[in-house]
Amino acid sequence: MSGTAVVNFLAVLLILTSMLVIETRRLRLAAYMYSLQSLVLVLIFLSLAIFMHAEPLYIWSFTALITKVFLVPWLIIRTLKKIGDQEGESAFKTSTTVLFAVFLVALSFAVANSFQTYAVVKVKIAMGVSIALFLLGLLCILTKKNALKQIFGYCLMENGSHLTLALLAYNAPETVEIGILTDAIFAVVIMLVIAGRLFKSFGTLDTDNYTLLKG
Amino acid sequence: MGENLLYLLPAVPLVTALLSFVIRSYRIVEVVHVAGISGLALLSLGLVKSLLGGQTFFALDGMLYADGLTAILILLIGTVGFLSGFYSIGYMRHDLAHGEVKERDLSTYYGFYHLFLFTMILSAISNNIAILWAAVEATTLGSAFLVGFYKHKTSAEAAWKYVLICSVGLAFALYGTILTYSNAFSVVQDAHKAMLWTELIKMAHQLDPQMMKLAFVFILIGFGTKAGLVPMHTWLPDAHSEAPSPASALLSGVLLKCALFAMVRYYAIALQSVGSEFPQTLLLIFGLLSVGVAAFFILVQNDIKRKLAYSSVEHIGIIATGLGVGGPLGIFAAFLHTINHSITKSLLFCTTGNITMKYGTRDATKIRGMKKVAPLTGFLFAAGLIAVAGSPPFNIFISELMTLTAGLKSGLFWPMILLLLFLVIAFAALVILISETVLGSPPEDLPRGETNWMGLLPLGILFVFMAGLGIYLPAPLNQLLQDAVGVVLGH
Repeated sequence: MSGTAVVNFLAVLLILTSMLVIETRRLRLAAYMYSLQSLVLVLIFLSLAIFMHAEPLYIWSFTALITKVFLVPWLIIRTLKKIGDQEGESAFKTSTTVLFAVFLVALSFAVANSFQTYAVVKVKIAMGVSIALFLLGLLCILTKKNALKQIFGYCLMENGSHLTLALLAYNAPETVEIGILTDAIFAVVIMLVIAGRLFKSFGTLDTDNYTLLKG
Repeated sequence: MGENLLYLLPAVPLVTALLSFVIRSYRIVEVVHVAGISGLALLSLGLVKSLLGGQTFFALDGMLYADGLTAILILLIGTVGFLSGFYSIGYMRHDLAHGEVKERDLSTYYGFYHLFLFTMILSAISNNIAILWAAVEATTLGSAFLVGFYKHKTSAEAAWKYVLICSVGLAFALYGTILTYSNAFSVVQDAHKAMLWTELIKMAHQLDPQMMKLAFVFILIGFGTKAGLVPMHTWLPDAHSEAPSPASALLSGVLLKCALFAMVRYYAIALQSVGSEFPQTLLLIFGLLSVGVAAFFILVQNDIKRKLAYSSVEHIGIIATGLGVGGPLGIFAAFLHTINHSITKSLLFCTTGNITMKYGTRDATKIRGMKKVAPLTGFLFAAGLIAVAGSPPFNIFISELMTLTAGLKSGLFWPMILLLLFLVIAFAALVILISETVLGSPPEDLPRGETNWMGLLPLGILFVFMAGLGIYLPAPLNQLLQDAVGVVLGH
């Protein structure tokens, strides 16, 4: 199998794992799915590093392994121990969400197709997937009512932009990736802390109940 | 000299923050805090002074940079950071005395206050567009604690919306950043240069215009969310009303502008890359929409801080409209409005701090007779509201008039009529608020008298700025604004 085929194959796995994160009702399992997805992301970084001679991506795959495969899922599971594991209601049925997801993936590939002039032409599928991942994360935030699920949505969006970054800007100075990754981790940490406080005050993570501030 | 300032400016609040976090005694933390805000104010003024006349400085291999645009932001961060920081002392002591917070919370408050200042400074002096993005995202994370400072249910709810919506919005800005970078990289083939704004602006006309358009849309959505443009503004009234009043002053007065100025950097690139029509039309639409929607919401709110928060959305809309009008006059008006709004809105938010300390509520239907209860606070509140409503003799009137004039000169007749109509609605809403809260008869059992001198001195200074800029624009400030306009238009 050629290098681009490997990358594109792995990229498609990202879509599958995203759907699993979005649709798994048990949050601990969703955290494992997220960890799995991050592992796929790490493998993509590695294959890009090998096949496209993108050396900086060796370091990226290492930092992503530490932070996204282990650290972030661990932080989420730690919070889950305090606030329970069940998701509760969702705004849409699974079938409706899947329908939306299919539409978003198609849209992403259409957008990626317009990037004719760039180096990504070879891995166009991966480019499409990175945008799709971003949009699927957004879909998760908009359709799920559970605060923890919305955090997962943010994590998916973040994985999506991380892949776009790897495809379009892997040669950028190292400080760039450090800055962006640090922010992403702190964002998750802060969201988890606030979610813990919300659970303490409202007794639920269903965001439909957070209606004290209106208008 | 200027280069050293670029290192010292972020270092001072960072060190102050770290010290505040580790020192337990709040008396000592207060001393550290005062030293920190004073140092920051002096350094800010020093940098602004050395930038006058179109000077620029680089530091850290071109990663840090200061020009006229930076100067405006640094001026605001320095002065508003100092004044609302000073105001914080009396405000927090009051909260401590009334059992709202514990001694330990005060150290944390000051720690995050300075961390927040640090992130804003970083966003102002970043030349690397990825670091610029990271700094703006970091402002959200640094200020999230301030929004959720009180242990109320509502504070947690506001902090949640704030972090989630802003982070998601900013994810779009990250895409815009990556697109701009890869666009530039295919032009120069130099990874370091393709990340630097000063290089991007030089090669703007070589960039692929289609890709730049796409990038600008992402940037507008992303930084627009953080700046509070409608329809991405929904987190703003919650966050700005739930934060402690001096933090609200900083959030509304300064932070919104940091995000807006990040967008202005891309606006400058887009002007050269894709021409003026595309970015200006977008800004005009978002600007007018923000003014219009906010004007109605100011009218229907009961909470005074929420009214003020919506008023911030309105004024960010006016600034965006000024940028949308474009040209030297439109952009000048937008920048002048940026400064005017910062001064006036920090005055107002700090004043609401005095009001809530006195009345124990933010509900406009319960606050009556401020004129009799606390005449000075009442006077400052009324003056601030008159100013923010856009009435002479205060500063905001001047920049609003300038925006309208610029628009009419550019042939934007109907958009300006629309703007004027929205401004009238907002004006009415704010005048009603004055007549209800400042006049009227106060509750019988409320003790008379002002809260404390520490809560009045910074407000007095802000009032002097507000009134002064209403009648006279000092030459250095005029120069500063001209420099900033030059940066955007590439003169």
